Amino acid sequence: MAQSLRVGVLASAALSLLGLVLWASGGFPSVTVPAILNVVDIVRVAFTGDLTGIVYFGVLVLIATPIFRVAVSSVYFAVQRDWAYAVITIAVLGMLLFALYSGAAG
Amino acid sequence: MLVVTPIEVLSIFLMSILAGLVGAVFGLGGGILIIPFLTLVEGVPLPFAVGASIISVIATSSASAATYVQDRLTNLRLGMFLEVGTVLGAITGALVAAFLDPGVLLVLFGILLIYTSAIMIAGRKVDSPSGVVPDRVSRNLRLGGEYFDPATGVTNRYEVTNTLKTLAISAISGVVSGLLGVGGGIIGVPTMNLLSKVPVKVASATSNFMIGVTAAASSSVYLVRGDVQPFLVAPLMIGVVIGAAVGTRLLRRTPPLRIKLLLAILLVAVSIAMILKGFFPEIVL
Repeated sequence: MAQSLRVGVLASAALSLLGLVLWASGGFPSVTVPAILNVVDIVRVAFTGDLTGIVYFGVLVLIATPIFRVAVSSVYFAVQRDWAYAVITIAVLGMLLFALYSGAAG
Repeated sequence: MLVVTPIEVLSIFLMSILAGLVGAVFGLGGGILIIPFLTLVEGVPLPFAVGASIISVIATSSASAATYVQDRLTNLRLGMFLEVGTVLGAITGALVAAFLDPGVLLVLFGILLIYTSAIMIAGRKVDSPSGVVPDRVSRNLRLGGEYFDPATGVTNRYEVTNTLKTLAISAISGVVSGLLGVGGGIIGVPTMNLLSKVPVKVASATSNFMIGVTAAASSSVYLVRGDVQPFLVAPLMIGVVIGAAVGTRLLRRTPPLRIKLLLAILLVAVSIAMILKGFFPEIVL
């Protein structure tokens, strides 16, 4: 389970590196960053191969890594029928997902 | 919108290797060094510096939490329970940060730096508790655990106490993390060890795991607010991970007091610069 953390960090570092290499190979173009982003847009932009999109996707993977770890833990506790901890981890997970959508409010 | 030049990206990359290395050797989070560098040297606006730093905190925390030893020491139950506090605090801190004057945050950061250097010189007080009686919350939630100590070859059982006080302080450390873009381990580890009576190895492994989750909460807020600038974050993230990996492998023993003292003096100097910048925002070194 802890290995998922390593995979997440390496994947996001690789995406960042790819973004930087593409930026360099394109002659360091000046990049524009959208003012407000939401998660769905980031994924969409990343798949168009846009420079900032790729780096943003790396950032998103990195943020998702510990969130994924919490999600896995909630399943683990539920399988163990450890309901108190299943509720606690789901509460933490809920707050983490709220934070990802808080942009519109904040 | 921030325009970043290739030279800036390169210098951020090199600096973050150094920050990751120094952080790993001295047991500090990278943010403590990265934010002053970005704001004072590169002249990056504070929200962007905090947004970049908090992302790199996830990277360093996750990378080291993934090691076998750290994973075995982590008390997952205790971590998850305290994260209710840290995550709530982090989201609050990150949301409130947008409404605070950057000068206030810079001064707060300066104070955090002074606290950090004081702890570095004085040495962290370590409790090796025994015969701890768990409180009611701890008993009901079975927060206690056991860990294998490779040094002695013995598996030790431990109990957790002062649970609700520790939860409250965790929430405060979450606010600090969300406001200032640091991990908060400097608050979390002594709280778990001295107040909750958790063995220090377990406390630091559990805190390190928690930091990643806490930072994920606040960085989500910074991300969707647009304070995460891709070309600040990319070199920073790669550099910090490289630096931390090199740091943990190269130097296993604690650095001599003289070196600690030098770094502490440097941190105090940096904190004065940060506080001055809080009052005179135009200062760039």
